Amino acid sequence: MKLIAQLEDLLYQSQQSPKKEELRLSAWRIVVHESEVVALGIKDNSPGSVYTPPSYRQGESGDVFLVWADGTCSQAMVQLPFSISPEYWTKQLEQWRQASYEDPDAVHIPFPESLPLVAVEDRAIKKIISGDDKLLFDQVNCWLSDKPSQAKMQGSIQAAWGYRHVRTSTGLAVTYQQSQFMSWFSFDSLIGGGFAKRRLIQPKEQEELWGQTVNQYEWMQKEATPVGPKTQVILAPSMTEDMLRQFVLPNFSGDRVIEGQGAFSKESFLDHTQVFHEQFSLIIDPLRPLELGSYLVTPEGVPANQTVLVQDGQLKTPFLKVKDAVRWGTKPTAVPQGTAGLYLKHQAEVPWVQALQGIDDGVLILSVLGLHTQDSVSGSYSLSAPHSLRILKGQIAGKTDVKLSGNFFADLAAPTTKTALSDLDTHPYLIIRTGVQTL
Amino acid sequence: MEQKEIKVLVQSVLEETKGIEGYFIVRAQSRREWSMRLSNGRFERVSTGEDSGFGVQAFTEKGASGFATSDVFEEGVGRKLVEKAIQLARRNEEIGSKRNRQIWEAPRVQEEVENSAQKGFEEIPLAELEEMVMKLHVRLRSSFPEGVWQSSYRQVEETWCIGRSDGTLVSFVIPRAVLMHQGTVRNQGKAQSTLIHRSGVDATLLIEELEDHVLEKKAMDRAEFAMAVCGAPQLPSGHYPLIIDYGLAKGLAHEAFGHAVESDHMNESVLGEAGKLRQGLRVARPGVNIIDGPLVGDWANQPYSANGLPRQTVTIVRDGVLEAGLGDIFSAVEAGMPITGAGRAESYGHIPLPRMSNIRLQVDRMLPLTPAEHLMDEVKAVRETLLEHGELREGEKNLLLLGYRGGQVNPKTGDFVFQCDGIIDVANPDLPIYQPSIFSGKILSALEAIRGGLGEGCYDAIGTCGKGGQSVASSGGSHRYLLMDADQQVSLGGEQA
Repeated sequence: MKLIAQLEDLLYQSQQSPKKEELRLSAWRIVVHESEVVALGIKDNSPGSVYTPPSYRQGESGDVFLVWADGTCSQAMVQLPFSISPEYWTKQLEQWRQASYEDPDAVHIPFPESLPLVAVEDRAIKKIISGDDKLLFDQVNCWLSDKPSQAKMQGSIQAAWGYRHVRTSTGLAVTYQQSQFMSWFSFDSLIGGGFAKRRLIQPKEQEELWGQTVNQYEWMQKEATPVGPKTQVILAPSMTEDMLRQFVLPNFSGDRVIEGQGAFSKESFLDHTQVFHEQFSLIIDPLRPLELGSYLVTPEGVPANQTVLVQDGQLKTPFLKVKDAVRWGTKPTAVPQGTAGLYLKHQAEVPWVQALQGIDDGVLILSVLGLHTQDSVSGSYSLSAPHSLRILKGQIAGKTDVKLSGNFFADLAAPTTKTALSDLDTHPYLIIRTGVQTL
Repeated sequence: MEQKEIKVLVQSVLEETKGIEGYFIVRAQSRREWSMRLSNGRFERVSTGEDSGFGVQAFTEKGASGFATSDVFEEGVGRKLVEKAIQLARRNEEIGSKRNRQIWEAPRVQEEVENSAQKGFEEIPLAELEEMVMKLHVRLRSSFPEGVWQSSYRQVEETWCIGRSDGTLVSFVIPRAVLMHQGTVRNQGKAQSTLIHRSGVDATLLIEELEDHVLEKKAMDRAEFAMAVCGAPQLPSGHYPLIIDYGLAKGLAHEAFGHAVESDHMNESVLGEAGKLRQGLRVARPGVNIIDGPLVGDWANQPYSANGLPRQTVTIVRDGVLEAGLGDIFSAVEAGMPITGAGRAESYGHIPLPRMSNIRLQVDRMLPLTPAEHLMDEVKAVRETLLEHGELREGEKNLLLLGYRGGQVNPKTGDFVFQCDGIIDVANPDLPIYQPSIFSGKILSALEAIRGGLGEGCYDAIGTCGKGGQSVASSGGSHRYLLMDADQQVSLGGEQA
């Protein structure tokens, strides 16, 4: 019997006719994931090494949230029991009861609403999981034969497919299939490229990603002139994403805002304070087809919808889970899956090719060391970026090593900051004026 | 699942699949976790959880491997995984993968290590733990109301059993507990956060904290320091004589040297040459030693590797000379180093990689320092000790870097960066405070710059190692502080000079 079915039976029974009165539930919700994953990697130019062999992973686990008759609540991670004895789930219930705590704002279970139609499954990925995995092996072979001859390559491809079940005591019962495909590769552990969506990479995308990464690797072989005080800094899309993860995401989390632990106060959201430049907007959009951050319903049973966090530079709302929405006095919002589903938009965005032509003196930052060590509340950064690419007169000129210092919130508020659109990424290039010097 | 139960399970899978050609490592793990988080005087979350599963690494006769895992304990799952893993290994053989037959050479080991916790996982009921943590949280809030506080407590028990085709059967239990306080303070329109922890193996640490309030005092000191940092100026970037606390020293030893001597990294390590460890290379001044090995009761303790071999204590650098690396069964020989049982994995679902356990940096030349109860008293004691021993250079800044916020290293190029909570100039009698700025440079230059230690060894700096996308407990430290000379290859970031 599947885990979701066992849990549904258990919780329904505990609500209607519990074995002990103290185990009576007044409400509950369940989310269970069933997944199968196949993967293959490359280490030091070797496919399927002992550290990166072809692998298969099967999982079936989930979370339950329970509201007891006395108004307290519990939450627990669950998986299928090893041996199904009649007492197993009763014992679990007793343990969950023991772990109950008071949190009146958290006990609200939303009533079902109609769900949007969002594509989150690529059937081609299911075929890979079912055994037709030639694509993975072929891709790895192709990478190894096409790589720059002197480069030491690392890489990985992973395909995942499974079911997501969400059930609530208020009547929501949703099961849907979802898939993921992720691939990444790097040369000499310095330059890399990656893809992550709910669908397979298309040949054209693979070709462009590969071409861009190989070009960057080749530019790295040539030393360029050092940066100067007027050099513009351009964050590559993956760097923009990393900065959003470090500085923006935690400060837009509803619980942190409510508890006063974020960079922006609750009042500043209510007052729509201008924190970014008026041309910037920040959106959570889980409705885009086959994007990694897309979903139909949150684990709490809230249908996917689009949420604007910042509009024209002004704070609109943090992202709010059910409990935070109750405390805020509004409806729950969309929630990002990490940085997936989070989109930064600038009104004057241009394609990267066009933006590059306009950069006379710049440095393209592909990666930095130590971003995760920076204080997300202050927004300040002090980072080293060895292996960056120098841009002179609209052209990539070669490698340079730099150090950056500044404040990401100030960067997003500056009128000089611009974005450029990437064909390969949902995050943009970010063109900023910040502290830059030779490392 | 209990230790004996898991052991029987692994034995039965190996027994049942004896007829299948190939070599198998079967890993089973059961993990229990209780955790809670409090914010501003209220419980935000109390959670319980269990996670158990199997992982099978299979090898063909030629040494190609495959891996299969499951957390679904249904009838026959062990056999199913063994068959799946060997099928993948055979498939792998066809694509010209790099072969590895080292596992056939591994010695047969049979060992059962008992749980080292003083208190059983459920000995103190969850409700009582909640009460204890709430009491600590409430007390901290009333002691330092200017801060916004979040407290969390987590206790984990991991039970492992590793069985191999050669009859190896090793099982052990790793208990772990940690109490953390995270504070956010605001001053002069700026915000700073601070995070401190106290770790142990079980709920005893809560009982101890309720008696001595050591973590609370540290939290208050760090919050006051963070408030001062909010309004502090930035340092001009440059090369300075440095004093780093043992948390940063652990970071330096772990990120900069530990990863660079792991056997799977020798092809891309600044401490490797033609894929071999550069044994005999002088990397530091005489008297500098770096040691890695498990310590009973420590956050990162693991007595056996995830491949079923005993974890050894390794002197990586002895008297300034690179002596040994951290080798697992699969890559140690190729990397020119002994097998030290260094393979560790986040869970049954991950491939073990060579990793550190508790890494400590020790220097023969040690100046005595009596730890003070409060942070700024200790900083004054540091200044006085350095003055007394003629260690403060006249006319230049001597910067004490406090608090480890994490770091990163590129083992191939030897570039590293670390971040601290803030900086104090101990050469100045006013002890001015500066904003944190990135501590970066070349790892070999940083090691060469170490000139002494201050105070006795402190090895309880904890963290999580993220190598290979896994999350594995790590720990370590050094003397209470390490003294480093100014070096042109080691710098503090910040504003342009």
